Amino acid sequence: MKKTINIPLGSQHISLLEPVRFKFECENEKIIGVDADVGFVHRGVEKACTTSFKFDAIGYVVARVCGLCAITHSLTYTAAVEKLLGAQITSKAKYLRILLLELDRIHSHMLCLSHTCENAGFEAMFMRIMGDREHIMEIQELITGNRVQFDYISIGGVNRDLAPESVQKIKENLYIVKQKVQGYMDEFTNNWSLSLKFKGIGMLSLDDAYMYNAIGPLARASGLRIDVRNEIDYLPYHEVGYKMQTHTDGDINARNLVRLAELVNSIEMCENILNGLPEGDIFTKIKGKPQGEALMRFEAPRGELMYYIKGNGSAMLERVRIKTPTFSCIPAFSHIFLGGDYADAPAVLASFDPCMSCTAK
Amino acid sequence: MQKIEVSLENVRDEIKKFYDYKQWHFLTLNGLALADEKMEVQWIFSKYEAMDEIVIYYAVIDYNEIIPSVVDMIPSAIISQRELVDMFGVQVEGSEKGLYLDEDSQMSPLKGCSI
Repeated sequence: MKKTINIPLGSQHISLLEPVRFKFECENEKIIGVDADVGFVHRGVEKACTTSFKFDAIGYVVARVCGLCAITHSLTYTAAVEKLLGAQITSKAKYLRILLLELDRIHSHMLCLSHTCENAGFEAMFMRIMGDREHIMEIQELITGNRVQFDYISIGGVNRDLAPESVQKIKENLYIVKQKVQGYMDEFTNNWSLSLKFKGIGMLSLDDAYMYNAIGPLARASGLRIDVRNEIDYLPYHEVGYKMQTHTDGDINARNLVRLAELVNSIEMCENILNGLPEGDIFTKIKGKPQGEALMRFEAPRGELMYYIKGNGSAMLERVRIKTPTFSCIPAFSHIFLGGDYADAPAVLASFDPCMSCTAK
Repeated sequence: MQKIEVSLENVRDEIKKFYDYKQWHFLTLNGLALADEKMEVQWIFSKYEAMDEIVIYYAVIDYNEIIPSVVDMIPSAIISQRELVDMFGVQVEGSEKGLYLDEDSQMSPLKGCSI
């Protein structure tokens, strides 16, 4: 009879800053069983949205679901409400929304890549990327007034116009980060700690990506062409230079390379928006109260974010359902761990870029 | 968004006929509290690389009915089945309470929440 031991990873772990616990059943060093516990910080946001807040305040409430992709949360909810109200948003507001969505993606991907470096023992690279990320945080502060909780999206448009004097500074910062990303490409491709070490580790095949409904960079690194930006016409993504980034290897290295390619594409989209921002209003006054049901999806940094809302014509909604990217990837995460070495688990987990704040909404 | 009503008895057969895992992406299960101690359970799908093509299979059920599991067809459904059990206090085949709540919790936070 084979002897197995159970080894936990989390809920507090040196390599993992999120409150999640994976319980691994190991046979020697091999993981043969996985159990995930994700419910440490559940906050009841869905219930609060239908019992404590009116529909026009919920966009600001759901921004608090996640500090990293706050814009994506508030935009997805807001777009669902706008769909029910039949609202038409100005072109300028749409472009500004894409700009902020992509800035969300850039700083979130940089955070993930820096943690990947930290897990590889490459502390200097971790600090370099986190330092460079400040340029993006500075842009977000310039545009929205805040570094983290932006409250930028509102029903009918956005809350602040882009100040003409900010545009040059934003372009300069984007240019700096773009140059830095080229340097990261070199490190992640040629540095042993960040490339060869991660090749063939934490594999997810294309078939398994389909089977487990993987999303976001995790899916695209396995060659699965899924990206909500490619599946919606609500925002003019194809006008600003969006290109889907995929890889076929399905390992940690492939996930890193997909995120790097997405960084470059996101920066290019931001530059295109700044160079061709339409004139006009940033806000349209919308009247009415939501009635009926709407489902809206956007591509958050970690993948597909979905909001389902149901209104009855009053100020209080009947249902707000939030489906976050990490939540739906938990089964895929567990599958990837199986058969791998326990020693690789922290690096594999970091490559998923999990967000427990989103998961335990 | 296309909604298709099914009964609990035939939901597995309907999803089995419909779900080609390389064509359709399973988004999640959703629950919706209705009046008269009833709820709506939704199985939500989107088509890969199609422009916002969403299909929702739904069933209106009593809270005490047992919802069949689709995990053998859609392994990733396990996490949203467990969430449904926690939040609405319903029974889903093979899905235990304890994802967000304590395993012995008597609470069902979203049961009857909207009515």
